[in-house]
Amino acid sequence: MIIKDVVCPFCGCLCDDLDVEVDGQKIIKVQNGCTLAEATLTGNNRLPAPIRRTANGWEEISYDDAIRETADILCAADRPLLYGWSSTHGEAQSIGVHIAELIGAVIDNTSVVCHGPSILAIQEVGHPGCTLGQVKNRADVIVYWGCNPTEAHPRHMSRYTTFATGFFVPEAQKDRTVIVVDTRRTESAEIADEFIRIERGGDYEVLSALRAIVRGKGSILPREIAGVAREQLFRVAEICMKAKFGAIFFGLGLTMSNGKYKNVRNAIELTDELNRHTKFTISPLRGHGNVYGSNEVFTWITGYPYAVDFARGIAFYNPGETTAVDILRWGECDAALIVASDPGAHFPHAAAAHLAKIPTILIDPHRTATTPLCRLQIPCTMAGIDAEGTAYRMDGVPIRYKKLIESLYPDDADLLRRIHDRIREVQGA
Amino acid sequence: MTASLYWYLREFARIEWVRKFFFARTAPLVTPAHFRGFPEPTGKACQHALFCMMVCPAVGAIDVVHEGDGWKPRIHKGHCIRCGLCVEACPNGVLMSGRVLETMQAQGTALLVSFRISIDRDLCTGCGNCVTACPVNKQIDAQLGAGGHSSNDEVIMRVDDGDVQVLHEEKCTGCKICETSCPTQAIQIARILEGIQQPVEGGGP
Repeated sequence: MIIKDVVCPFCGCLCDDLDVEVDGQKIIKVQNGCTLAEATLTGNNRLPAPIRRTANGWEEISYDDAIRETADILCAADRPLLYGWSSTHGEAQSIGVHIAELIGAVIDNTSVVCHGPSILAIQEVGHPGCTLGQVKNRADVIVYWGCNPTEAHPRHMSRYTTFATGFFVPEAQKDRTVIVVDTRRTESAEIADEFIRIERGGDYEVLSALRAIVRGKGSILPREIAGVAREQLFRVAEICMKAKFGAIFFGLGLTMSNGKYKNVRNAIELTDELNRHTKFTISPLRGHGNVYGSNEVFTWITGYPYAVDFARGIAFYNPGETTAVDILRWGECDAALIVASDPGAHFPHAAAAHLAKIPTILIDPHRTATTPLCRLQIPCTMAGIDAEGTAYRMDGVPIRYKKLIESLYPDDADLLRRIHDRIREVQGA
Repeated sequence: MTASLYWYLREFARIEWVRKFFFARTAPLVTPAHFRGFPEPTGKACQHALFCMMVCPAVGAIDVVHEGDGWKPRIHKGHCIRCGLCVEACPNGVLMSGRVLETMQAQGTALLVSFRISIDRDLCTGCGNCVTACPVNKQIDAQLGAGGHSSNDEVIMRVDDGDVQVLHEEKCTGCKICETSCPTQAIQIARILEGIQQPVEGGGP
């Protein structure tokens, strides 16, 4: 059976045009998806049943026991952490927030090691963004700053930017100018019209220099800015100012290098300056499939997009104090529930090491780098493959994940609901 | 020294030699009919196949430019080595040079240009840049050109199973836009030039 218009749940592009061939409970062919989509959809590394760590290794346990033990660990903790959420659907994320409120936990999503700084900058100066459809149909200048879509979002260039024919850019790559800014020559830089190579940590300076040029104050600039010749910046600023519609996309090169959210703030303010000359937008290239959704769901329910602390009985938000990495690094956290993410692979060493010291429970369909840090792992469905639900694309467009195959695994939303109910029982008692 | 001067004068001061040197009559320089000069237009319309540029062994000797309302091959005489390959390779008979066209017709010979698309599956990320940028794909399936999605089996190539799969190699025109749009150098177009001879009625030489 061939299922049309399937949504790939892997990255923030959430490509919704895949054709997937299914044979019984197995996906056998993926058409139109990139190599990441193919590996995600056809991958077969599922954990068969819940496992608990013993003195000599692992033992399989029942779902009922796993749920009971999870609820007990979370109820007994003084400073529990609920982390992850970015690879599951909004329905599961919302139950996660309710559990956090119930036990006074900190709930955080993968933005903390990703685009958290972008959110802080947006909270300060706003977000002159747009949907990817606007970029595809209008943008004649595309800037990729501190990101490498070829590796992280392979179809971004063919679906929305450089190579896609748009309504106002019928000749696609002939009509569009692509500028890549990075500290190293990435694959994406190979197909750019202009590549700006900046010294590590020089993003803020280069952004400020571009702002000065756009403001007509270019004469004050030194000959070289963070390793970039002044002349190149003049050329790039002119390309941007002459654009009919420009779009900046930025990645972790901007958010996680020196300056962090100040870099993003400066980039947004550059976009603001450019809008005095033409139309320009800026958007983060979000990593996990539904990380934008976790920001949305947290914000609806708590008022804050990530790093929400319920220890006071009300939602409290202070990144740097209530963020998952920080409460783990300080050794503050005494129990953790990880859902649909892999902090074992992505967290700084000190934070990951603390996860191994405390009772950590992982709800994830696969064996991951977090599995060795856990006391208990509960396998579930994978949103977009054997579970349906709502996800948000990197530009904030909600897209419904399809259920492609039937499986015997429980949906993460159902698992979390049972944990939630069990916690209420324990608390009631 | 004296002896040398003597022998020099004895050789060149002869009246026959002086007469021959100044009043020699040689045959006038005439370009023979079989001479292969610089390629010239035959008057047939250029279809922008660009086979002339692909086959030309001399760097910068020929290009095809847009002039008025059509395309036109332009010969750069300083670079052209008059090999006549462009005349032979053109599928539309736009150029002529010496007896190249007549000989081809008489002997039933032709130069065939074809293209082979090779994909390095280890490097291919399935990003779809090449299938979206390909002008032939765009013409066959506008939906593919507008975002890399295709269910059309008539396109040259599309992304299946996470890699680019070639469906109709024979439709490739060798423009190499796919090569320049690939960020990982995973796709390569080989231009293959093949000389063929068809039997001619009445027999060839």
